[in-house]
Amino acid sequence: MRTIECLTRIGIAPALALVASLALTLTLGAPAAFGEADPDPDPPLAALGDPPIPPDNKQSPAKVALGRLLFFDTRISGDASIACSDCHNPKDGWADPGEVSRGYPGTIHWRNSQSVINSAYLGKLFWAGSSKSLEGQARGAARGGVAGNGEGDVMEARLALIPEYRKRFRTVFGDEWPKIRNVWRAIAAYERTLIHKNTPFDRYMRGDKKALNAQQRRGLKLYRGKAGCIECHNGALLSDQKYYNLGVPRHEGWAEDGLKQITFRFELYAKGVSEELYRTTKDDLGLYFRSKERRDMGKFRTPMLRYTNFTAPYMHNGAFFTLEEVVDFYDEGGGANNFGTKTRILKPLGLSDEEKEDLVAFLEALSGEEITIQTPLLPEYAPLGKP
Amino acid sequence: MRIIGWVVLAAVAMATGGPLSAAQNGPLPPMKFNAKKAALGKRLFFDERISGDASMSCATCHKPAKGFADGKPLSDAYPGTKGFRNTPTLINTAYKEVWFHDGRIGTNLNDVTRDQITETIWMNMDMRIMQERLKQDPVYVRMFKEAGFGEPSNGSVRKAIPEYLKSLTSKNVPFDKGRMSAAAKRGRALFTGKAGCVRCHSGPLFSDGKAHNLGVPENPAIFKEPLRHVAFIAFGKWMGIENHMNLRRDPGASVRTNQKRDMGKFITPTLRELKHTAPYMHNGTLPTLASVVNFYNRGGGKDANKDPLLKPLRLSGKQRADLAAFLEALSGDPLTGSAYVLKGKIDLKYKPIPDWWNARN
Repeated sequence: MRTIECLTRIGIAPALALVASLALTLTLGAPAAFGEADPDPDPPLAALGDPPIPPDNKQSPAKVALGRLLFFDTRISGDASIACSDCHNPKDGWADPGEVSRGYPGTIHWRNSQSVINSAYLGKLFWAGSSKSLEGQARGAARGGVAGNGEGDVMEARLALIPEYRKRFRTVFGDEWPKIRNVWRAIAAYERTLIHKNTPFDRYMRGDKKALNAQQRRGLKLYRGKAGCIECHNGALLSDQKYYNLGVPRHEGWAEDGLKQITFRFELYAKGVSEELYRTTKDDLGLYFRSKERRDMGKFRTPMLRYTNFTAPYMHNGAFFTLEEVVDFYDEGGGANNFGTKTRILKPLGLSDEEKEDLVAFLEALSGEEITIQTPLLPEYAPLGKP
Repeated sequence: MRIIGWVVLAAVAMATGGPLSAAQNGPLPPMKFNAKKAALGKRLFFDERISGDASMSCATCHKPAKGFADGKPLSDAYPGTKGFRNTPTLINTAYKEVWFHDGRIGTNLNDVTRDQITETIWMNMDMRIMQERLKQDPVYVRMFKEAGFGEPSNGSVRKAIPEYLKSLTSKNVPFDKGRMSAAAKRGRALFTGKAGCVRCHSGPLFSDGKAHNLGVPENPAIFKEPLRHVAFIAFGKWMGIENHMNLRRDPGASVRTNQKRDMGKFITPTLRELKHTAPYMHNGTLPTLASVVNFYNRGGGKDANKDPLLKPLRLSGKQRADLAAFLEALSGDPLTGSAYVLKGKIDLKYKPIPDWWNARN
């Protein structure tokens, strides 16, 4: 049964996944521990290939170079003080080191900032998948009230007053004046170059059996087997891009910080819930905000696991600061919250201390070299002059 | 009741269309307001937390010590942009029927308040965030309740601030009190006679509330300073101005009509409190009252659509000084006392709500 489902899936999967799947089915196709409880097929683990490039936003060196400037440019925000790179800081794993992200000045964000690294592979951006593309994610983040709080016309007008951008938007997009929708396209193109696929794990999956040491290989076995990580963190992405409630503990900061309370209520208000839910909700409703189905309360999209050595803290609300804590959390069968929607996949794992260490060692092998870059020099404003 | 009477009078005056007599430049009728709502509006007016990044309040540009204007030729704006017009006074604004130099809002101060708080080049405030900020401050929770508004809400902010603005009315104006100098009295005769000012600066507000083209020169700073040009371009786009990227002059009242003939027209400003509100004109290009009088004495500036009412006045030096003396007699005491200005600092930090997990949001 599993095999049939698996093959059906392969039929619609990209060619790359097909090759990887076949290879793995032959060599490593051991069933996962929770196969019976979880009706989903678990695509086998695989080395990461190249990210998909949308046909309506092809890559070009000039576009990527433009996107790189824009990614670091604070003028793509409401008060020109905060760039993409402020909450997705290369020095902090292209994320934000806070439990919840720093957010727009005068506010604080309400969820953990996710790394930009490898976001090119995701079809569901943001923790509740509210965006389907990097282009849409960039737009949403730059405009959100507790994120960039920018407005398209003002940001566009700023770019018009920067000669270097006028030149580049004309070259790349043929814009007479820089268009804001092309800002999102350029940033997305840049992000599609921020790829992390040469990890020890990836090298191992490509056939370099020495890429993982014995402890890491034991961890991999646990990952596929006893620990059951593969139930959700599967395929080449190490994410099934589905939504689960793990019972992650609610963020204690909600009770301790007035600014956070403001943001929390704002999100309830802005995302649209009933009066009663607005009055009584104390924890992030997750996917419910999009579907308005009670069964989706507290569910978040499975994150990818590469580059996690650089992106602590973990979970949608930064509940855990170390991979050890994360492993402990799963070992206990996840946590408990009040939504009544916790996934049944999670059960106490009964891992020994040594097994936990092995699993952490494997998780650490999902990160390779840190990706650092030099912050670009940004072009200056100049008067437009006579038309 | 008296306010209604005044409105009717103004309507009749407009209907007759002719030059208005000096008698119509009387004192303003008293403005009633609700003290508790106004007190709430006052705190909001001086609170920087009602802008997007909590960096500016209404009082950032409407400074009490500057006649509730800012003393600058062109206003500031939300960080990352700069203004392209002169900040108008808010004193007596509650008597007006159209607002902004181009008159683009002609409804009420509730709408004006909304515009200023939410528009991205002014305060860039998402009012939903604003509401939740206010709910986090126990002082506001109490004040909204005491003002009869219930819990803090966007709609109530838009009522409370206009209520406070009703309290900003001229006080102890020599003209109103009949305590003008001899020079000012002579100036008044010129105002209604030879200088013809009253033809537009009519009624108790000294404004006909209409748009006129005086040929005021453009302020080149708008196009020399990129951040001002940024705001100008964004505004032009919102107003649906064709070819706004290449426009290098203020469209003025044409934003309401899309008619070229309305380019360069601006709403007649009130003359009250002008002693405190230099520099002058919609773009602050005239630095002093004397320069304004000289401008009119020359018959205004140059423009193809200049109002034909403007002709060289041939006023002598003494007459110009008398006219300026009269204009100064239209300004009263500065509204800088505690009745108008929030004293003491607002605690800008947000305390957590006690027993958050169990408290109703």
